Amino acid sequence: MTTTRCPAPIGFADVVDYWAGDLSRAEEDRIEEHVFACADCARELASAEALSREIASVAREGRLHSVVTDAMLNRLAADGVRIRTYTLDGSGIIPCAVWADDDLVVSRIRANFDDADSVTIVARQASGAEISRVSDVSVRPGQREILNAFSAAHLRALPATRVDVVVTAQIGGSERTIAEYTLEHAGAFDRLGGGR
Amino acid sequence: MGTAASVALMHWSADARPLTTSDGELAMAIASAPPGAAEAEESELYRRFAHRVRLYGLKHLRDGAAADDLAQQVLLVTIERLRAGEVRNPGEIGSFILGTSRMLADSIGRKARRREKLTAQFHVPELYAEPALASNDLEVVERCLHGLAERDRRVLVLTFYVEKTSSEIASELGVTATVVRVARHRALERLRECVGQPAGRTA
Repeated sequence: MTTTRCPAPIGFADVVDYWAGDLSRAEEDRIEEHVFACADCARELASAEALSREIASVAREGRLHSVVTDAMLNRLAADGVRIRTYTLDGSGIIPCAVWADDDLVVSRIRANFDDADSVTIVARQASGAEISRVSDVSVRPGQREILNAFSAAHLRALPATRVDVVVTAQIGGSERTIAEYTLEHAGAFDRLGGGR
Repeated sequence: MGTAASVALMHWSADARPLTTSDGELAMAIASAPPGAAEAEESELYRRFAHRVRLYGLKHLRDGAAADDLAQQVLLVTIERLRAGEVRNPGEIGSFILGTSRMLADSIGRKARRREKLTAQFHVPELYAEPALASNDLEVVERCLHGLAERDRRVLVLTFYVEKTSSEIASELGVTATVVRVARHRALERLRECVGQPAGRTA
């Protein structure tokens, strides 16, 4: 491949938009014509392709520790990812566990997010050790639920413990706790042995 | 179509042809040589373009195996047409390969038989194509992905895993499509820096 630098490189933003399918047909044609004439920009496109493929692999393998959406969960389920769901709604202790064949554990956190500019969700063991933290979660007006996903492999490493989940919101420049939940995590189980 | 092509496996040596040889010069060398006599140039042309055609195939066919098939077909047709002197402007070989990619990708579903015929017609023991960009360690990608801001991570996963458009993601996040597109390419740039993958362009 030649090592000549491209005199008029396609911007990375355009490369990404092209790969994501967000350009018009005419814009796509322009990018393709350039890539087929320019080894330098072809490598840039290959770089975007490799990263996008790896992002999909991380998701497909259930390795997300993240806020997710129903669309993501539908796609994961279609790809054979085994998802266990717990709903955090109201008071009371929620019993939970992770099983050997789980890939992803999702907590459906229900609360009133009205007026929240953004939300932070922190889960801690009874010892105080933090299990996870997601910050700056944006919420839409009227939204009543946030789906927080954990890799089951990550949770399998936890001991049996109480888990405290605290949801705080940025409201008008100050942070306020808007919901708290308690889960009793029984540990990791398999269906035959029943225990860890 | 001209005579059946037989393109032997070539381990291209950088010493054999200067790296500054342009794509057009390469194509002209193939076109001006007796059929099959420019094996090194044919292998080099394949190496330069097969991955680009594969990317085109991935983009438009959404299937890795179909993209691999497309790359092989397009380059075989290109080499065959060059050998037969049927490429009007070898100096613009990239345009010819793109045009062939478009034509074959459009008809790939309807013309499976044609694909089989091409494979049978052209004896191709092995061809060397530049491999797809080496994958990064998935654990590193996972760690870097989780180091991004929550919204950026969600945008990347919705785009590249769920395959949503920026407009669809925008309505899900309550922002504009422009905000999604800007967040997306900046996040991908940060991810690339984090995993240590060099930018595609030569420094």
